[in-house]
Amino acid sequence: MPNLPELNPVVHGKLRLALLSLLSGVEEAEFTWLKAKTGSTDGNLGAQLMKLEEAGYVTAEKRFVMRKPQTRYRITDTGRAALTEYVAALKQLLGMAVIIANDE
Amino acid sequence: MTEPNADRQELEERLDLMETMIAEGRQTAGHWGPIFVLWGVAFYVAFGWYMLEHHTRWAWPVTMIATFVLTRALHRRHRAGQPKTTAGRAIGSIWIAMVISMFVLFLSIGYSGNVVPAGVQTATLATLLGMSNAACGMLLKWKEQFACAVVWWVSAATCCFGSATIATIGFMTATFLCWIVFGIYVIITELRRPGHAGLTNA
Repeated sequence: MPNLPELNPVVHGKLRLALLSLLSGVEEAEFTWLKAKTGSTDGNLGAQLMKLEEAGYVTAEKRFVMRKPQTRYRITDTGRAALTEYVAALKQLLGMAVIIANDE
Repeated sequence: MTEPNADRQELEERLDLMETMIAEGRQTAGHWGPIFVLWGVAFYVAFGWYMLEHHTRWAWPVTMIATFVLTRALHRRHRAGQPKTTAGRAIGSIWIAMVISMFVLFLSIGYSGNVVPAGVQTATLATLLGMSNAACGMLLKWKEQFACAVVWWVSAATCCFGSATIATIGFMTATFLCWIVFGIYVIITELRRPGHAGLTNA
């Protein structure tokens, strides 16, 4: 049996994967926009963004716009590389899943 | 780090999720629909005012400046909370550059005292609009917007070859098709865009 590629657990989380995917298509995005796009709660979203930040996959910038606090997130080069590696591993796993299914 | 029990369906779901989210992030054109319609209506208002007030010199500059200010307000309102994208900035740059070119040129023509035939002015405006639509159409790989560019260019050519009446009809037809009809099409496309399920699991 060939070696299975490893899936990065930080990226693999459903909400974290959604967040990295969203941020990969934009330069930067606000917390409220990420919340609207993912349909997540404030608490859950904040916790998952914190995990991504701790892993060095996203950066957060807090600022005030019209006296209202605003947090903007950006994907980092490390985050982009992790996402690319994750996609490659995912594709490899899916290819293997097809081979195993055919063998059965 | 490997999840040995990750089955095929789950992996495929992850790929689908990524595709959906990346598409969501790149969605940038939706809010331009009302602005396209606004400019189409503004052209008709300016033209109507110009004709009713016996070719007053204020009709076009006043209407265009008012529409520009309104566009800025609408855009700012929509942009609040929206992400910044490279494509969005590129599209914005094209239109801002077009508007600046238009104002510099037409204000200079208007106040220079030199007589420039109305057909040439209309052709210039139609060409600039064609260029902006073509650039955006190519950037977004959007055939419908590129088709608008072609309509503007045809209108520009008509202005050069046809009489003043034909030039006006050609320009106003292009205005109707490329601002109003296209704007409504963009609004409908945005409204029909499917939503997405919430993601509660980390």
